Amino acid sequence: MNTLNYADVSVGDKLPGLELPISSSLISCAALATRDFEPCHHDKSVAQSMGLPDVFMNILTSQALMARFVTDWSGPETQMKALRIKLGAPNVPGMVMTVTGEVVEKDDAENSVNIEVTGENNIWGMHMSGTVRIALP
Amino acid sequence: MTPEETKAFEDELYNFVGNSVHGGPRKGHDDVNAAMIRQWCEIMGDANPAYIDAEWAAKSTRGHTIAPPAMMYAWTQEGYKVASVGRPESDGQARLVRFLASKGFTGSLGTNVDQEYFADAKIGDSIFEDSIIESISEQKTTGRGVGYFFETFAKFTNQDGTLLGTQRFRVFQFIPPAQAEAEAPADSGLEVPTRIQAPRGQDNKWWWDACDEGKVLIQRCKSCQVLRHPPRPMCGECQSTEWDSIESTLDGEVFSFVEMHHPRVPGYQYPLIVAVIELAEGTRIVANVVGCDVADVHIGMKIKGQVDQVDEKTMLPQFYPIAS
Amino acid sequence: MTINVSGEAAIVGVANTEFTKASGVSELELASVAVRDAIADAGLKPSDVDGMTTFTLDNTDEIEIARAVGIGDLTFYSRVPHGGGAATGLVHQAVMAVATGMAEVVVCYRALNGRSGHRYSSGVAGPLLTSDAIHWGWYTPSGLMTPASWVAMYTQRYMHLAENVQDAMFEIAHLQREYAVKNPAAFFYERPFDRADYDASRPIVSPFKMLDCCMETDGGSAVVITTAERAKDLKHPAVVVKGVGQAAAANMESMTSFYRPEIAAIPSMDIAAKMAYEQSGLTPDDIDAAVIYDAFTPIVLWQLASWGFCDLLDAPNFVLDGALRPDGRLPTNTHGGQLSEAYIHGVNGIVEATKLVRGTSVNQPNKTVNNVLVTSGVGVPTGGALLGKLD
Repeated sequence: MNTLNYADVSVGDKLPGLELPISSSLISCAALATRDFEPCHHDKSVAQSMGLPDVFMNILTSQALMARFVTDWSGPETQMKALRIKLGAPNVPGMVMTVTGEVVEKDDAENSVNIEVTGENNIWGMHMSGTVRIALP
Repeated sequence: MTPEETKAFEDELYNFVGNSVHGGPRKGHDDVNAAMIRQWCEIMGDANPAYIDAEWAAKSTRGHTIAPPAMMYAWTQEGYKVASVGRPESDGQARLVRFLASKGFTGSLGTNVDQEYFADAKIGDSIFEDSIIESISEQKTTGRGVGYFFETFAKFTNQDGTLLGTQRFRVFQFIPPAQAEAEAPADSGLEVPTRIQAPRGQDNKWWWDACDEGKVLIQRCKSCQVLRHPPRPMCGECQSTEWDSIESTLDGEVFSFVEMHHPRVPGYQYPLIVAVIELAEGTRIVANVVGCDVADVHIGMKIKGQVDQVDEKTMLPQFYPIAS
Repeated sequence: MTINVSGEAAIVGVANTEFTKASGVSELELASVAVRDAIADAGLKPSDVDGMTTFTLDNTDEIEIARAVGIGDLTFYSRVPHGGGAATGLVHQAVMAVATGMAEVVVCYRALNGRSGHRYSSGVAGPLLTSDAIHWGWYTPSGLMTPASWVAMYTQRYMHLAENVQDAMFEIAHLQREYAVKNPAAFFYERPFDRADYDASRPIVSPFKMLDCCMETDGGSAVVITTAERAKDLKHPAVVVKGVGQAAAANMESMTSFYRPEIAAIPSMDIAAKMAYEQSGLTPDDIDAAVIYDAFTPIVLWQLASWGFCDLLDAPNFVLDGALRPDGRLPTNTHGGQLSEAYIHGVNGIVEATKLVRGTSVNQPNKTVNNVLVTSGVGVPTGGALLGKLD
């Protein structure tokens, strides 16, 4: 696995898109992997009592997926500096989330790169948008 | 609430600002460990060797594996108690939420999380979280309803006091619209259009019922063993009405396909590819090809199917390209 | 006893209503006007009619029209299923009725508010006929639910096997528009387009662009058929039905016969063509012009092969060589077809075929057309007829 060099990254570079089918398993298992035991992420009846059709993805999972989306592209020597996420529509089972990203800023002082990332699901639209700042060798 | 009541309520509310959530730094239940990291990576689909491959990591710049930075907040979560008995009485954030809920602000929605990372956490590290209620907004009206935004600010440190990272977590606590509470599961604002369902009759119900359970069956004549799809009540080869079925492996190949552009039908996701698929068993089936660029779909393309829940009501076989 | 119906019956009257996007009248009125005018064109009176036939898809019962038009006793009435596949099926019914003496004068009709009323392009997502519901249920969940999508599935396969298909599709769409541009009755009269317009036209179901698809029309068409004997004394020279066939080939589904070894083929039409040629004693060389059902451009290609004008995979080249043009080997869809004149489910095509033999087609004036082919929609059980001058 290679890591991108700071010099080889340009503003405007697009990250390879990611299409992620959202299943009950992913939502519940990922919630538990992030130690988030809020019932709305694993108990459909609780989610429905909140007005949602089914269990929905927890925020720590959305963060994880956003981070993974970036390092899948930038490589293992990436230093994660910051992750800013704004949450939109819930991800519920049966949806497909498409994640896209683009390099929007470079800072030569600390070899850091800002990447704007958006995750849209196919039913309700924007699930997450935000900025990931990484430093590269 | 009258203006006086609101003022009294808000005075009490804003008293929460500055409160510690856990009464000081709180140590995570588990120190950073390979098992929890590996499980997190497995589920998130994160194959980064910096997290899970000790051999690789030993030769890397860092010299060792690290915890995924995005796991930072996971280490100090409360745990299963949240589901079994609820958050502890002492939890400052829970107390704020309960106070708001007591005045009708029962809806809760995380809206923003900003994390900054300053140092890596590695296996064996203890993680300490020190959170405070940093701010509470004035009353706001959003699409969700009337409510207050509050922000917690957390510092994460390790056993040496090294600052690993910080976090601002913004939550909107609101009064849910009345009808949403009355008929929550059918809240029309959240109703998702679904695909048009196949009507189920005597000759096809069994097939769709199996599909609902994740299986694609192929009807087989009990008398001459010939497979047929779509199902029909009699074998065209030997006229027997006795049949059973086999489960398809869903290995297939695109025989022909189209991309639907117009009209766009609510409940369907575009781009939408529909294909005639030749299954390894020899019968054909019409289904969607997904998980690839539209431009990459071609006749002869090797695909593998699985039954997916494509919306709230619909289980359907969906076929994915086989990585070449 | 076997009866050969060839030459036993003749088309003696035809009519279309005006073609619009919003007729403002009922389908009963459209049908009644078309039937009345076709009877008048034949030089007959409504009371001469004793048989009527239409599509199962038509919303108007023959007895309603008979009452409206003043047609008297009916001794023959029938309906032909399968959408546009019924077009020449009406001729088939009328010829059999006339040849066997079950009726003497049969009116074939089809009228629809196809644009302002129910639009076929909206697909089968709406209320479904129970008998069809399970069949469509194999396709609607995945989104395959419009006529364009079903035919596009065959077309993608055909493009995989044959060359120059897209260019030939343009040639058909463009040529038929050129015919319509000169046909005052056509919806697209004096409204041409070029290759750039074609390439830029919106995708409907890939590989179909909008200009590969037929229109949606409010209108009606009717055809009067009687015995060859009686036809001799009527107003226009008789147009005899020399051969007519229809067929539903094995392993047929309505529009979705995706389970045959090769789906880039229309075996139902192959069978119907063979029947019609055998009855008539004609060969493809005897055919001077054609009206070939054209809900979508590529189906014209396949039918040219079914009727023996070229090989299936060579059909694009046959068309690109100009065969369907005004001075080509087989001037085709000279009214503009359903792509550019009007979509009356192919019955306006029977009207045009009749005019071609009469010598009154606006785009083939003063040309001797001894024999003409007219076909029904494909993808469904279908058929075709060979019409010609009375020997």
